[in-house]
Amino acid sequence: MTMEQLNKILLISLLLICAIWLIIPFTMAVLWSLVDPSEPWTADKVLPPVISLYRWVDMWENSSLKSALIASYTLAPSAAILSLLLAMPTSFALGRLKFPGRELAKMLCLLPLVVPAFITAIFFTSLLYQLGLSSWRPGAILFAHAVLFMPFAIRIMTVSFEQVRQDHIDAARNLGASHWARFKVAYLPALKPGIFATLLIVFIQSIEEFAIAFIVGSPDIVTIPTLLYAALGQDYVRPNAAVLSLILVVPNVILMLILERLLRSANPTLSSGKG
Amino acid sequence: MLKTLIASTMLLASTATSFAGDLSSMSWDDIVTQAKEEGKVTWYVWYLRDDFRRAVKTFEEEYGISVTIPEGTAAGNSEKMLAERDRETGDIDVLAWGTDGFQTVELAPLFSSLSILPKDDGRVVELAGFDGGDHVVAFWGNQTGIAYDPAHVSADNLPQTPDEFATFWSENPGKFGFNYEKGGSGPSFYQNTLRVVADVDFSNGEVTDQRLESIQPGIDFFNKHAENYVVTASNADSIIRASDGELWMVPAWEDHLAGLQNRGEVRKEIKFYIPEMGMNGGGNGVAIPQNAPNPAAAAVFVNWLTSPETQSMFNRDFGTAPMNTAADDSFALVPNEQRAFRQVWGAQPFRGEVEAMFIDNVILER
Amino acid sequence: MTLRRGLLIIGLLTPGLGLILALIGTVVYIAVSQSFGFYSLNGISEFSTEFWSKMVGRKIFKRSIQYSIYIGVLSAIFSVALAYPLAIWLRKPFAGSNLIGAILKAPLLVHGLVAAFLFVNVISYHGILNQFMQWLGIWSEPRRLQNDPNAYSVLILQTWKNMPFALLLLTGAVQSISDDVLDAARDLGAGKWDRFRRVIAPLTISSMQAAMVIIFIGAVADFSFQVIAGPTNKQSLSQLMVSFKGRGDWHSAAVVGVSLMMIALVGSAILAAVARIIMRGRIK
Repeated sequence: MTMEQLNKILLISLLLICAIWLIIPFTMAVLWSLVDPSEPWTADKVLPPVISLYRWVDMWENSSLKSALIASYTLAPSAAILSLLLAMPTSFALGRLKFPGRELAKMLCLLPLVVPAFITAIFFTSLLYQLGLSSWRPGAILFAHAVLFMPFAIRIMTVSFEQVRQDHIDAARNLGASHWARFKVAYLPALKPGIFATLLIVFIQSIEEFAIAFIVGSPDIVTIPTLLYAALGQDYVRPNAAVLSLILVVPNVILMLILERLLRSANPTLSSGKG
Repeated sequence: MLKTLIASTMLLASTATSFAGDLSSMSWDDIVTQAKEEGKVTWYVWYLRDDFRRAVKTFEEEYGISVTIPEGTAAGNSEKMLAERDRETGDIDVLAWGTDGFQTVELAPLFSSLSILPKDDGRVVELAGFDGGDHVVAFWGNQTGIAYDPAHVSADNLPQTPDEFATFWSENPGKFGFNYEKGGSGPSFYQNTLRVVADVDFSNGEVTDQRLESIQPGIDFFNKHAENYVVTASNADSIIRASDGELWMVPAWEDHLAGLQNRGEVRKEIKFYIPEMGMNGGGNGVAIPQNAPNPAAAAVFVNWLTSPETQSMFNRDFGTAPMNTAADDSFALVPNEQRAFRQVWGAQPFRGEVEAMFIDNVILER
Repeated sequence: MTLRRGLLIIGLLTPGLGLILALIGTVVYIAVSQSFGFYSLNGISEFSTEFWSKMVGRKIFKRSIQYSIYIGVLSAIFSVALAYPLAIWLRKPFAGSNLIGAILKAPLLVHGLVAAFLFVNVISYHGILNQFMQWLGIWSEPRRLQNDPNAYSVLILQTWKNMPFALLLLTGAVQSISDDVLDAARDLGAGKWDRFRRVIAPLTISSMQAAMVIIFIGAVADFSFQVIAGPTNKQSLSQLMVSFKGRGDWHSAAVVGVSLMMIALVGSAILAAVARIIMRGRIK
């Protein structure tokens, strides 16, 4: 069996699995979002008894959905970029320089990840207020997210920095390249996958983070997780939750496709022909 | 810098004693005037927000003060209040919280005294075994009971005592479910069952080994029938599964059930009753944080919320038990005869220990 | 190490590690103090080891630790084990690899809470899975799959959510292995398994460790999957912590929280070391 045939078989079987993995839950979500309030969708009916777009219209017009979308989708990329920038120097040190206590430092970088949610919610936000950041709410949330998700950035970028090839750096230096040119030619190709992975992961973490965004942002800034937790909490109504989930998927899918494109172009084996 | 950070965060441990402006020295009319100048009030409540937004229009029209009800969750709102306690001015004007929640914190350092409100003896300050004192006043009364599916359970044959429930369980295994956390309906059920089976006085909050041991017959009761009932994940999970037809009887909050039915999430056929063995009544209160940005408006709002007129409106629109003795309660969801079975939540810290015991000896042993 | 180099290192570490230590370190300090009786929110703040000693004796505490570690370790292992073959398969582009890559990574962009509810909806008593199985004739009546006692639901959800993350990290690592090395190995007679064990694994170990560590820490502290889809006869450490907080017992909640932090840090270090040993056959 050739590689091509094997690939085809694997592709088809994987697509089948993905059908179960992804398509079925989402079809259910679509059906739920179309349930009209007049008649609940009970288990004995295959399809909802009364279908209408009421929920969609209602959610779009009446809830803070629009402002939440804007808030979350500007906050998350900014947090990702800030986190990356703050993490770069540390990752460089951890990835390429040797010094005593390096392993300990690596472990300490994980600290924000291990602090439990409500402790962060109450005490970290309290700290932010002490630091006087509360006057500019988006800034405070941005900063909090960047610090909270830096472990991802540091971990991923450290690995990327380790993968930068010394011979490339030496060659660039020997050829008299300036610092910036050295960085562009020797470091960047190996760092690109890490940079995109970092931006994606921190983006996702930021867009899912509820406690800090709510505590610092409310009532002026509403983020998507706030709406989600509110819809899936006490006033739990599945159709509304379904509408919310579907509305959230669309921008994410688009982002995913864009990122997949960029990641392809960042593949070092492709750009240089060899690793 | 680290030292300053630690020192300033240590303020968290000290009690803040600032008062809500100088309201305590003002007359009520002056407070109302100031409230109108402030012009807005932010009310944090975690449920029925859409309905409340409609309900407060009366207040907005009467006083010309706009009311903002932000999205949030019960835990989120209370955590925000706690996180903000050292800010000069916070974001929360009025905080709604369950009596359970208010019991987990010390009230005086966090909330303003409500003695500035005009005298109204009809207001309820002691609710479900919780005394709000000067700081918390009840605005919402609710009741736990059993929700059932009339298609499978006849209204003439509803279980009323633990033994009758046990009979129901053996005749219909897997058709009764209750939660032990994430909501009070299940705990109301199992705690009252423990109370009746073990014949223990829950109004006494004292914890002694002897008293905890006396709960044992109740624990044995639940373990004996463990195969026949289901443990659900939350209040909402119980009701949803009853509506879906998987379960035939579940403990529920009457206002929660009615709310979900109105929204088209739960079938309207599902009915509700309070068994004779008794189930707990509860309520939610409101309080004004010390650092509320609009303290006068907050006071006026709380006064409106707990007035007989508003409480009658809640009773009419939501079926809740009014929290002002002068209010009209003719629209309650549950007939008055059954209201006689209302029980008060167990006193702390005994209740907490019983809950821990239940989890250890029944839930973890499944 | 010269002073200059030392200052350089510290300077580089400051915006990252420095910020983390200053801010989060303070929070950790507060949490630890709270576990010893300080920062009381409803009582007197005074030092006491009572909360720790009481907690260590509780059965539920030990059970929760075991359960959370179980979830953490298995989630990390499953995610990485599934991600490796996929990353290797997708190493070189072929027709459809873009699409597959995107579909495989799609769960990253689905909010965890949403995923849990969709999942519970699918496996619910009268949900589509039960109806399908009955239609096929495999089951004669619906089965209660929700909140199963072995936590399969939680593990499935964790793997579903985390495998794409592992895939993301491993793809980058696997793609940086030069073809020459793999071709040379093949020419020397190494089979698929050997090529993986002796060439790919050692060269991608950093990424694998990073993935395992991060997934483990996340899964061990899981709260939302557990309360929605997890077994009702077990409590995860986060769940236990929140239940103490809900009862007003802030100090015991802090004890559980601090234990969770220690387990996350120490556990992830152990997991990373064990993985390294298995993959490399030696520690370094």
